[in-house]
Amino acid sequence: MSQGVLLFCFDTEHTKYHKILERCVALIKKNLKLQITVVTNFETYKKLKPLGFINYKFIEPETGNTKQGKPWKNVDRHLAYELSPYEQTVVMDIDYFCYTDNIKQVFDTKYDFLVPDQAYDLSGRNSFDHRRFSLIPMVWATVLYFRKNAKVEKIFKMVKYVKDWYPYFTELYRIQAKNLRNDYVFAIALQQINGFTDYEKFPFALSTLPPDCEIVKFTDNGLAWKYQDQINYVEDQDVHVLNKEIADV
Amino acid sequence: MDIRDLKKQSDLSYDIAVAKRNALEKAHSRQVLAYEGHLFRADPQTISLVRTLKETNDKFFVLDTNSNPVEITSPDNFLAKLIERNQETLNAYHQMYKTFSKKG
Repeated sequence: MSQGVLLFCFDTEHTKYHKILERCVALIKKNLKLQITVVTNFETYKKLKPLGFINYKFIEPETGNTKQGKPWKNVDRHLAYELSPYEQTVVMDIDYFCYTDNIKQVFDTKYDFLVPDQAYDLSGRNSFDHRRFSLIPMVWATVLYFRKNAKVEKIFKMVKYVKDWYPYFTELYRIQAKNLRNDYVFAIALQQINGFTDYEKFPFALSTLPPDCEIVKFTDNGLAWKYQDQINYVEDQDVHVLNKEIADV
Repeated sequence: MDIRDLKKQSDLSYDIAVAKRNALEKAHSRQVLAYEGHLFRADPQTISLVRTLKETNDKFFVLDTNSNPVEITSPDNFLAKLIERNQETLNAYHQMYKTFSKKG
């Protein structure tokens, strides 16, 4: 059964996402040792340094979404099912850095679809709790696992439906952020497609560094960050980095 | 009394507390284990449950992390894997803990 990691990467005028991708791919190769497919466009692809044997799928990303007033090309995640060449796929944000092989275990399971619903704030401030304001149990679409079958295909059809009618769903679920966030899109779609009941999740929290943590060092084994005047670090632990300045570290 | 020295000690204590908390979270993440197509947590509760059940049963059912029932047909093998993973994570945590002790 084919297994691999699917990544989406599109540069914007403000952020060199291809630089982040290069780091992400290196860690996947080192620690997960899985096949990799990158969904990108030619504009981003031509800036990439050679990354060894990985697959590329070229699409023109849907535009119009923003984050803090800047273009944000994150709307195409609903295409993951049809773009993945693998029977079992882990979809990852490129700012999720695999310093372990922990995630690889999902390939040895029978689950159809898994998503994390908890994030752990590495800076010690529990700063992700505010997202409980909305009327829906949250998920973190940073990392998804799915197995190709009819049920999962319907999940992704639902994701596309929610994406298409996103302004309506944000009102329905009292979601304050008006830009499109995949976390909310998947949370809504999973609740809808599962008949408003519970669904299966990853049994761990995503270790995450909030956007105000500046990455000061990035190595093969871990990273260090600065928050206010304090520096801290992690090693051999998967990390989701929200500060996009990491592209320049 | 030098208030700067006290502030320094306070900052150090905070850094150690955050690092210790992160190391424990790292251990918890690593304790997730795939077995017989399901995910389990190699924590004291699961280890104790499996050990207790295997005393009187060759086969039994336990719940995975998503509350699905799973039949365990090789309890010794399952228990050995749980203990191995649990001790691997706690050993790594212990190594980190020693560095905190030296700093603090």
